[in-house]
Amino acid sequence: MAAAGPIPLSVIGGFLGAGKTTLLNRLLQGASGIRFAVIVNDFGDLAIDGDLVADHGGDTITFANGCLCCTMGDSLLSTLNDLARRDDPPDHIVVEASGVADPRQIADVAVLHPGLVRDLVLVLVDADTICERARDSRLKETVIHQAEAADMIVLNKCDLASEQHIADARAWAAEQAPRAALLETAHARIAIERLLTLDSGHGIGNGPLRAPAVAHIGHAHDHANQFSSAVVILEAPLDLAALRGVLNDLPPSILRAKGFVSSREDPSRLHLVQLSGRRLRIEPWPVAARAGVVPPRRGRVFVGTPDMPPAAGLTRRLGA
Amino acid sequence: MAASITIFRAKKILTMNPRAPAATHVAVRDGHILGAGDLADLSVWGAHRLDERFADKVLMPGMIEGHCHSMEGSVWQDNYVGYYARRGPDGIERPALRSIEEVVDHLRRVEAEMGEGEDAIIAWGFDPIYFNGPRMTAADLDRVSQRRPVVVVHASFHIINVNSVVLQRANISADTDVMGIMKGADGEPNGELQGMPARFLALGAIGRDHFEEMGKKESLWRFARSAQLAGVTTATDLANALPETTIANLKAVTGDPDYPLRIVPAFLGLSCPAAEGAVKMRALSEQSSDKLRLGLIKLVADGSIQGFTARLKWPGYFNSSANGLWYIDPDRIADTLAVYHEAGLQVHIHTNGDQATETVLDAIEQVLTRLPRPDARFTLQHCQMAHEAHYRRMARLGVCANLFANHLYYWGDQHVEQTMGPERAARMNATGTAKRLGVPFAIHSDAPITPLAPLFTAWCAVNRKTVSGRILGEAERISVEDALSAVTLGAAYTLKLDGELGSIETGKRADFAVLDADPLAVGAEGLKDVPVWGTVLGGRVFPCADIAGGL
Ligand SMILES: [Zn+2]
Repeated sequence: MAAAGPIPLSVIGGFLGAGKTTLLNRLLQGASGIRFAVIVNDFGDLAIDGDLVADHGGDTITFANGCLCCTMGDSLLSTLNDLARRDDPPDHIVVEASGVADPRQIADVAVLHPGLVRDLVLVLVDADTICERARDSRLKETVIHQAEAADMIVLNKCDLASEQHIADARAWAAEQAPRAALLETAHARIAIERLLTLDSGHGIGNGPLRAPAVAHIGHAHDHANQFSSAVVILEAPLDLAALRGVLNDLPPSILRAKGFVSSREDPSRLHLVQLSGRRLRIEPWPVAARAGVVPPRRGRVFVGTPDMPPAAGLTRRLGA
Repeated sequence: MAASITIFRAKKILTMNPRAPAATHVAVRDGHILGAGDLADLSVWGAHRLDERFADKVLMPGMIEGHCHSMEGSVWQDNYVGYYARRGPDGIERPALRSIEEVVDHLRRVEAEMGEGEDAIIAWGFDPIYFNGPRMTAADLDRVSQRRPVVVVHASFHIINVNSVVLQRANISADTDVMGIMKGADGEPNGELQGMPARFLALGAIGRDHFEEMGKKESLWRFARSAQLAGVTTATDLANALPETTIANLKAVTGDPDYPLRIVPAFLGLSCPAAEGAVKMRALSEQSSDKLRLGLIKLVADGSIQGFTARLKWPGYFNSSANGLWYIDPDRIADTLAVYHEAGLQVHIHTNGDQATETVLDAIEQVLTRLPRPDARFTLQHCQMAHEAHYRRMARLGVCANLFANHLYYWGDQHVEQTMGPERAARMNATGTAKRLGVPFAIHSDAPITPLAPLFTAWCAVNRKTVSGRILGEAERISVEDALSAVTLGAAYTLKLDGELGSIETGKRADFAVLDADPLAVGAEGLKDVPVWGTVLGGRVFPCADIAGGL
């Protein structure tokens, strides 16, 4: 099996107790058929379901509670090197980052690493306690770093928090991370598999673009309707600067957009375009010219809240 | 038949034994000390051989470096380009390079002597904190080579400068949106890379893995030579994830009778879940030998002061920099400590800022309340900003401090002007307070961050003089005797080795530093310049003169 493009890497950050492990277990249940490598950097009473990872042919790799950027940076990097060099690489790498690991630094490894591509940085916060932590002289810079790094902030445990605490948490997140999408939930009930790039056999580059599969959640709270999605096909080369403007102006109901376009200046060259929250990244796609790799189809998938604009409206905005 | 006895005669022996602080002879059998005194005192042990080669030398207990890194061995395979002259493990002094221009010229000479290939040029020890002026750029290093990768690692090891070849290989361009890639006015990356991702991927792009280098046998040999040149017979490696290959190499080198150093590696306690680490280290501690002591654990709580990553209490950094970084969630320190502590292992914890020190003391107090164990000897490493109140708590909790005295000299001026302001700078590395309040303490170099040389470290604690000549906290100065005790018995105590190392008296291992002058006679100023002739390890003599060119 020929390895396709770089492997997408996502980071789930937040303090212990924010719901990271619950969310990760939901992802593993929800995205059946996807082989994850899960790198765990935080240990609480709740364990990541290693069997679930293994069932899907993936791996769980553990680092203990700490900062992944300093002394542990080397071992994180060699772990990622090993995963990227495998004959049979995982479809997606998820790093569960401890409260003190800066999610941005981990995601930056994927930006620079030729075998990886940065996907999503999602930070969970406990809606009940986040404002208290943000006032704690020991922790305030740490929670700010987390928020600044996030493409998406999930206010979790909203069932346990008072209206006032939720409102304060919302205001804090909006202030610290104006470019991050903000989601609110309880029990980490987020259909995260619809937000990550899972839409190919190996990495993001191989095979046709398709909308994320409807989530298969094996429990009563079916949140398949949590997000809407739309596909827009964009075969013609685009003016990247204009595209940038259009994407930056999309309404906040669009949480995530991802896909490939070719630019007018050099139509042979593909670009990966990702909008995560309000953060836009356009980067040249490194494997466009590789023999034996099916070039990804030009187009974009949009994922948003149920009130997001329909596909026709998006197509019009994009001028396709 | 009894093993043979050697009696070494010296001009003077500083024993660190308070009952008999000075002697002229020391008797050695089976690598251990039978006793110290004069010849008549020792002749009662029976037939002996009198070794007079130290007749004009001064002996003291082999010095113990309680906080250094085996990286001291690996860095010297690269080119030293620091602001201060520094002696390598081959005994040869590298010159001081006082400007970016001098660094570039030096590396151009290195380049000129290299072969035709495209091997990388790697340099270390660069410290622009001493230059008032422009930063080094890729253009500077392109003058060294436009063909080979050129990397200059800063003294902090957290920042590097690279040339254009490395930028290209690592795919770093104006469009690269990654934190820590410094850019010039033109928006192009200027070759300075800060932070883990850019730095490690640049090194990765030229095929360098410094953790792998550290554990190599050649590196461990250079580490031991560096120690020997400084009169050190026992050194820590603080810390190491201790993969199997490193353990095997450590066992191999320390098993060689020619290897002149005892090593105490500390396990990087966060490199795996604590429960796994505890099991691993319990098992490894059984494999200790006389020259390799396994079982120590190290945790890291915060960053560094001069890097503005230490965690500080109010009022924070003097120049208003943002507060630093936790390397472990402060609310999880107690649980992590407890796992290792409950397994019977000793834990050393790196704390630089006063908030980190206080948080760790809170955690230790919780752990000792929950799991009382006499003489756990938790040790705070660096502990640079601890306040008097912290020392009082340390004394009550039985916590030791290993203080970073070399900082006072190398970065003392920066601490006054940038990081701490005058009053807090004066209380940094408060050896005087530790002594007064009865906190067991050692002092250290953190080599390769600063040179491995305990007599220099002792000089720093005695004089507290900065590079510019400022005296930083006169009240925290300690006597020469106390400083010498800190680099011998003091360090041995923090490692729970004070029963067998650190003084010259009956029953201890025959580890000596052999000096050409008496450190008590040269006065406080001269301490750093006392020449080291060599060492004795387990009764075996290791002259420094044997090292020259022998690497
Ligand atoms: Zn250190």
